[in-house]
Amino acid sequence: MSSLDFEQISPGQALPPLAKHVTVEQIRQYAEASGDRNPIHLDETFARSAGLPGVIAHGMLTMAFANQMVTDWLGHRSLLRSLNGRFAGMVLPGDDVTCSGSVASKDDETRRVVINLVVTNQRGEKVFNKGVAEAEFPPQRSNTHAA
Amino acid sequence: MTDSRWVGRSYETAPFEVTEQSIRDYMAAVGDLREDHELVAPPTYAMVYGFDAYWQLWTDQEVALDVAHLVHGEQRFNFQRPVRPGDRIRTTGRLTAINSRGDMELVTFELKARDAEDRPVSDGNALFIIRKA
Repeated sequence: MSSLDFEQISPGQALPPLAKHVTVEQIRQYAEASGDRNPIHLDETFARSAGLPGVIAHGMLTMAFANQMVTDWLGHRSLLRSLNGRFAGMVLPGDDVTCSGSVASKDDETRRVVINLVVTNQRGEKVFNKGVAEAEFPPQRSNTHAA
Repeated sequence: MTDSRWVGRSYETAPFEVTEQSIRDYMAAVGDLREDHELVAPPTYAMVYGFDAYWQLWTDQEVALDVAHLVHGEQRFNFQRPVRPGDRIRTTGRLTAINSRGDMELVTFELKARDAEDRPVSDGNALFIIRKA
């Protein structure tokens, strides 16, 4: 398994960015998988009548992208301890969004790492901001356990 | 404006049975397909097992949130343990605040998810923004 080595993480380090192209099909698939079939995500006429430019992606789909960028970097999904952020803008079908992040801090005692995150669209507008993720690495294996 | 007397109202989901298929459907939908040596749900899958708590709030006829004008404004999650197939998770959501800011209404919803042994799985905090029509 290719988990990240805690010792090699340094504050300021950038995470590999993650790019996603959002489609109507993906929004429908997310609605089915999550159970969230709010018509603002599925029904173009309803969405317009609610004052939106058309159907919009679920905010939680964008947050799932940010989640994936962090867990892809960590190498394991179970290390994530928290994930927070603001849905700063709408994501529409056809948008290309890019998640980026960097290491804000690292604590050798608690083996916790704090990551700042942002998701932008193809115009450079932030659609998810003030994102913060925290990961906790398992205790370091002691050399005395070597067989 | 939603009546502030509903602050404090809570909603509980039935136990959500986590299956491999449900986790894989979620991974496919969000495009998070990396295989770990053991299948663990992406942490944001908390929105799937807890979804019915949100749904109960949105469809509560007495509280009557204007869901046509509701968008998700902010979300916070803490994860106490990984989620795997076979888990039975119950989520409780509580409406904790209704505030007015300009032409918007801000609704805060706090969630706690626990397993079959009543141990914490995750907790969350959602802020919904309702644009006044």
